[in-house]
Amino acid sequence: MNLELYYALSKAAGVVVTVGLFSVLYKENKFYRFCEHLFLGLAAGWAAVGVWTESLHTIWYDRMMGTVDEAGKAQSGGHWIYAALLPVGFMSYMVFSKKHNWMARVPLGIVLGVWSGQQIQAYFDTYGPQVRAGMKPIIGTSGFLVPGADSGINPQVIAANVYWSQAISNFLFMFTLVSVLSYFLFSFEVKNKIILKVNIMGRYLLMIGFGAIFGTTVMMRFTLVIDRMYFIWNEFFYKTLFHGK
Amino acid sequence: MKIKTIPKYTVYLLLVLAASIPLFFDIKMPNKPVDSSAATFKSLMTLEKGDTVLLGTDWTGSTRGESKAELIAILRILMRKEVKFAMWSSADAQSPRCAQDVITEVNAMMKKEGSREYKQWEDWVQAGFYPNSDVAINNVGQDVKKMFSPKRGTDSTGKLRSVMESPVLEKIQKIEDFKLVIDVTASKTSDFHVQFISSHKVPMIFAVTGVMVPETDVYYNSGQIAGFLGGLKGVYDVEVMMDKGLNVPDKDGKIEVASTKVTDQIAGFPGKDNTGSGSKYYPTLHFALALMIVLVVIGNVEMAMARKGAKNS
Repeated sequence: MNLELYYALSKAAGVVVTVGLFSVLYKENKFYRFCEHLFLGLAAGWAAVGVWTESLHTIWYDRMMGTVDEAGKAQSGGHWIYAALLPVGFMSYMVFSKKHNWMARVPLGIVLGVWSGQQIQAYFDTYGPQVRAGMKPIIGTSGFLVPGADSGINPQVIAANVYWSQAISNFLFMFTLVSVLSYFLFSFEVKNKIILKVNIMGRYLLMIGFGAIFGTTVMMRFTLVIDRMYFIWNEFFYKTLFHGK
Repeated sequence: MKIKTIPKYTVYLLLVLAASIPLFFDIKMPNKPVDSSAATFKSLMTLEKGDTVLLGTDWTGSTRGESKAELIAILRILMRKEVKFAMWSSADAQSPRCAQDVITEVNAMMKKEGSREYKQWEDWVQAGFYPNSDVAINNVGQDVKKMFSPKRGTDSTGKLRSVMESPVLEKIQKIEDFKLVIDVTASKTSDFHVQFISSHKVPMIFAVTGVMVPETDVYYNSGQIAGFLGGLKGVYDVEVMMDKGLNVPDKDGKIEVASTKVTDQIAGFPGKDNTGSGSKYYPTLHFALALMIVLVVIGNVEMAMARKGAKNS
């Protein structure tokens, strides 16, 4: 089979499966189910082979068995201690045994231990800089608007000043931060009227945040639809079938 | 109360039309790049010939519309500036294949514009796929040499050797030796990069999907990353900056593409073909969004009228 025909057939298969998956919009049907299962099977098969060829083979099997070059000469020695990992891994499957399922807790415990150990570093490296960056000036030191790149003012001077438009923006940020944090005061009953108002504001500001997240999600989903349409009309029909440039 | 004016199949048909017809036209959109895109562009354009970057690709076909477009834009800049890159993945076993297909595609673009094609081993290496993203990214931060050493690639003479011996990685001893760490991702790997690599003081940029923009903005605003491309808007921003530069005045002294946060003057690649999926999809996205807004308004008006009618009856 020549390469051009192979690409044309693979693109045609892509179009058929895309239409098949979209067909669920009409109603649940066997064609959709077929495409869905085809995708699941392909993804599972690919993952199994990918994990072995791309990962386990190099970081476990080669280290255990050693490697040779094309001429069969030894490149690196094997370390049989890596074989000890195999029974530990297999212990995970003991979860299916009523009698020996305690063994599954050994690998699970190792994973949990690694994960828990990492979390100390993860927590501080994630939130430490954010807390520091959260301390923003809310009083301006210069004019209202930040001068543009074509204003002729030295960029370092612009960066050193707090313009009032920035100060207002920083104040909104600080207010949002404090009010949203106050919304999560669950440990005791809030009776203070001012804190209650701030608390309610926090709830509304959270809703605005969720709205923004929902908006970006909708944009992303639309982009995926547009990409599929481009694939069908341009990549398959125009370029592959009609050899457009 | 039953509302049934527009059948759902009509809505689907309208969406397909709105997402298809504008693709056939070359529509120019006014655009001001967001700060995060401008900062990403600066990070990429300040790289020099011969620099090495670590390029994480953690996306698959399910986010092709955004992630592939982002990777193409990034690769175009890296290849035009002759920056070497080591590519690796930790999110999905399909990711390396998806990224390698994109490299082939971008190489064809480079050939078409008369630039040098990138060769595996000499200019870029595939450093592999490693499951368990958090542990893998932590290991790369701790000891990148030990992490990538077992992965072998074919050198220019056809011999299988460790990728750490390649011209791309031979000078890399630790994560700080990379000039830039990039992650094109549709998953949590961006979080793990912040958790385990940000403390190493190596500049990082992300290219994320639209869904991830709000959470990634936090990392950018707190200075944990140098910049990020957010979904299709990020792609369109960078394509426009590649074409017209950033803060570059034209003959009349007017700056067409400006940023108040990134004040450096950065020339793009004028005269070269910088259009990609961003330029093609971004106008179409506006038509689809406009349709959605119209339908939401119609739906709400219908509901209000139906309620009023029910009350009156």
